[in-house]
Amino acid sequence: MNAAKSFSSRLAGWLPRIVVAPSLLVVIVTVYLFILWTGVISFTSSRFVPVYDFAGLEQYVRLWATPRWHTAVANLFIFSALFLFLSTGIGLLMAILLDQNIRAEGFLRAVYLYPMALSFIVTGTAWKWIMNPGLGIQKVINELGWTSFTFDWITDPNMAIYTVVIAGVWQSSGFAMAIFLAGLRGIDNSVIKAAQIEGAGLPLIYRQIIIPMLRPAMLSVIVLLSYIAIKSFDLVLALTNAGPGSATELPSTFMFSATFRRNQMGVGAASAVMMLMTVAAIIVPYLYSELRERNNG
Amino acid sequence: MANALAQHKPIDEALPRKTRIRFGRLLIYGPLCAMAALYLMPLWVMVVTSLKPLDEIYSGSFIGLPQTITLDAWRAAWSEACIGTECTGLKPYFANSLLMVIPAVVLSTGIGAINGYILTKWRFPGANLVFGLLLFGCFLPYQAILIPMARTLGLLGLAGSIPGLVFVHVAYGICFTTLFFRNFFVSLPDELTKAAMVDGAGFFRIFWSVILPTSIPIIVVSCIWQFTQIWNDFLFGVSFTSGGNSPMTVALNNIVNVTTGRKQYNVDMAAAMIAAIPTLLVYIVAGRYFVRGLTAGAVKG
Amino acid sequence: MSKFLASLVAATMLVPAAARAEGTIEVLHHWVSQSEVDALNVIRKDLESKGFQWKDSAVGGMSGANAQQALRSRLTSGDPPGAMQFLGWEGPQWAEQGVVRDLNDLAEDGGWREALPPQLLTFVTSGDAFIAAPINMHRQNWVWANKKIFDEAGIAVPKTWADLIAAGKKLKEKGITPVAMGDEPWQIGIIFDALLSDLYGPEFYRKVAIDLDPAALNSAEMVKVFDTLREVRGLVDDNFVGRDWAVATGLVINGEAAMQFMGDWAKGEFLAKGLKPNADFYCFATPAKVPTFQYVIDSFGMFTVKDETVQNAQVALAETIMDPAVQKGFNLIKGSIPARTDVSVDDFDDCAKLGFNERAEAIKAGSMLGAMTHGFAAKPEFASVFGDVAAQFFVGNMSSDDAVKMLVEGIDNAR
Repeated sequence: MNAAKSFSSRLAGWLPRIVVAPSLLVVIVTVYLFILWTGVISFTSSRFVPVYDFAGLEQYVRLWATPRWHTAVANLFIFSALFLFLSTGIGLLMAILLDQNIRAEGFLRAVYLYPMALSFIVTGTAWKWIMNPGLGIQKVINELGWTSFTFDWITDPNMAIYTVVIAGVWQSSGFAMAIFLAGLRGIDNSVIKAAQIEGAGLPLIYRQIIIPMLRPAMLSVIVLLSYIAIKSFDLVLALTNAGPGSATELPSTFMFSATFRRNQMGVGAASAVMMLMTVAAIIVPYLYSELRERNNG
Repeated sequence: MANALAQHKPIDEALPRKTRIRFGRLLIYGPLCAMAALYLMPLWVMVVTSLKPLDEIYSGSFIGLPQTITLDAWRAAWSEACIGTECTGLKPYFANSLLMVIPAVVLSTGIGAINGYILTKWRFPGANLVFGLLLFGCFLPYQAILIPMARTLGLLGLAGSIPGLVFVHVAYGICFTTLFFRNFFVSLPDELTKAAMVDGAGFFRIFWSVILPTSIPIIVVSCIWQFTQIWNDFLFGVSFTSGGNSPMTVALNNIVNVTTGRKQYNVDMAAAMIAAIPTLLVYIVAGRYFVRGLTAGAVKG
Repeated sequence: MSKFLASLVAATMLVPAAARAEGTIEVLHHWVSQSEVDALNVIRKDLESKGFQWKDSAVGGMSGANAQQALRSRLTSGDPPGAMQFLGWEGPQWAEQGVVRDLNDLAEDGGWREALPPQLLTFVTSGDAFIAAPINMHRQNWVWANKKIFDEAGIAVPKTWADLIAAGKKLKEKGITPVAMGDEPWQIGIIFDALLSDLYGPEFYRKVAIDLDPAALNSAEMVKVFDTLREVRGLVDDNFVGRDWAVATGLVINGEAAMQFMGDWAKGEFLAKGLKPNADFYCFATPAKVPTFQYVIDSFGMFTVKDETVQNAQVALAETIMDPAVQKGFNLIKGSIPARTDVSVDDFDDCAKLGFNERAEAIKAGSMLGAMTHGFAAKPEFASVFGDVAAQFFVGNMSSDDAVKMLVEGIDNAR
């Protein structure tokens, strides 16, 4: 009787671990084992198909000697920084405005959110036309009489990456808006009332009180948008197909074309490892501090 | 949560003078409508293009109003367009996508909920490490793992099938869903579970009758996020299914991604909008709950 | 709900089982446009008339890269399709991995080697094995021109690139866009490939694009090739970025642009508008002392599978593809010419006939060349470097010397 009870209570103690184990196992295999495999391939001379020899750092040397990769890395920083900044800024602004007890809030919210729902395989074509100087915005504005107006970034290798930023912000800022709106709705109104009684103006209240209170929402936005930025793939392929030239290459498109188009599986794996290391360098310290804080608190 | 929403009053209601309010309203509606117009621009282009005959587009009319309006492109995209030599339109692939997305969303959300529950209410040594391992998985570049995943699916006997695709989406989806649920459950007071335990409820009982009923908002968030991600996925679909098993994005790509043939822009646009209808519906119908759910949980990171 | 799910699962399980019925072959290909599909249906119908089933697996996009990726996943997971469309080196490379079925017996019986131009055997054989059945041959280095514009400006079909560029400049002064094109690397590559062989002959092309000879790559001739490419850039309007090739063809058809450099798949656009070769539009090879024939072929390889019914279907499919009547029917629709040299040309249009004649001459003159941009010269890791450099040069303002330097370094880095 006693033994049975202790067995069942011991089982109960282990139950959570048993239940979480399959998920952990799946993730260990599909994430970490696969990362390990990619790491192994990056040290081989694999081209068309995987081979398991040892080529040292050859693929990394090759990778960093490829101008396209340099473009991809530079673009990732430009794109991520601008994309995060603009999506967060515009998302926040829209959320604050929408939070002013607006008529048709539901409609506007849907308008800002719908780009997330569309597959970029085709939306890219619409953007391509809009930004083409001979078809889109430039043509329309020129025909309206402002003939000196130019908007031809998509044709300029130095500016094309900014068109990717525009389309990316269009697609994702609504999502940031939704999270901020949620954050705003979660703020206790009495704080604001109190500040108003003190005589503080609205802009001051937002700057000094409300926006700092959105810090958790800000973190969620940044984590999810970074995820979107790093994964951006369809966006580039559909809008510019990494062109003009290779001006809008990103690490994700580089990795894909090295592995599946250029017979450079080793180089593709090396680029994946570089990308994972970059992500780890940003995420791991953040995770560590977040989780430690929790433990202490 | 409903309380907080009810309490929430527009801030400028408290402002003294009527004129100021009217001016303020203008400052609010102006930018909102301008933004809405900008956001709708690509949709406008897609809608007008889908209503034009192809010749009109090729003769140079890309973003203007159609001269002749026709629904042919929509009909073609739904049931006539050729995907390879099978001229069935998107219709059959729509079903494939549903067969894939429903189990994948349900499973990944369910597993995420259980994981989040364990990682917050049944903490064990190393729970943080487990969470960290799961979270990092969110950032895996999928282009890099297609080949080992194909091998794994082959070993599991799931290659080229919809169950295989469901497995892949669940495997990578639980990283996100666990994050959502953990962050939500962290804010639930532990007293809730402790009281239930004193009453003699076990692990699953507490989950089912104490935790789940409180987590509707975050379930909505998790489902919306997963639905959007899985429905719009192309990379896994093209890698791990074939022919008649393919999800809709693969069929959409086959309609759109023409190299040495002539692009049917009107059909492309109609197909893209048809493909987006389920996600659009989810956003419009569940949009309100989405914001409410985010309010309730996800942002309290 | 659970019943519903159960039936869904059951439904999905049934699909693979049904597909393994008698004599069914799954064909993985990247042909998704209307004309491609119509042509493919010629093969499909013939196969089905022999009592076999065709299971279609189309994966379009990125010049077959998506289909390649799908194939790699399929082979890795141990579930190869019965047949796959090969482009460029794909066939020989898979054959080296030992996963492609040897069709030598069929080739011997059918006299395939004798019926095909010897140059293309590189891409359908591997060692002694015959690994793929070629269905068609496109020519990449065509110029398509609006006859009315040429006539009104008093321009004759150019005999050299200098003529062509001079004619282009003349048209530009008259306010007509001389060359219609898009900025996709492969569209630029078509011009680059043509310049390589047209300016300095087929030998130079072979040294550069096939042997990757360092001296030829880093030569004054190479600089001149880029100089000429820069002059061609001057003939293209500024809105070329993101322009689809068929849209560019449309510009030539409706008289907004004078000519386009494009493979013979462009012909269908003219014919669909009811235009006639030599009456409404010109088709001629890119100008050169010895006209070259830069070919692109599509072939179908069969993967090694255990299922005997699939093996039988593979044999039937290979025979269908190599059937002269099927090749004729297919190519009349596709715009290309049959891979076999012994098919009657009578029913083809004038452009295709010109292609036939020039192919026969090119085979004799040794100016039959694989088109690099479509993967029929250097291996992909090198061809993509050419593509990168030519595209970056074309859309930006890099100097020819820098382009040559970048090319040499890029090729060395990929070796």
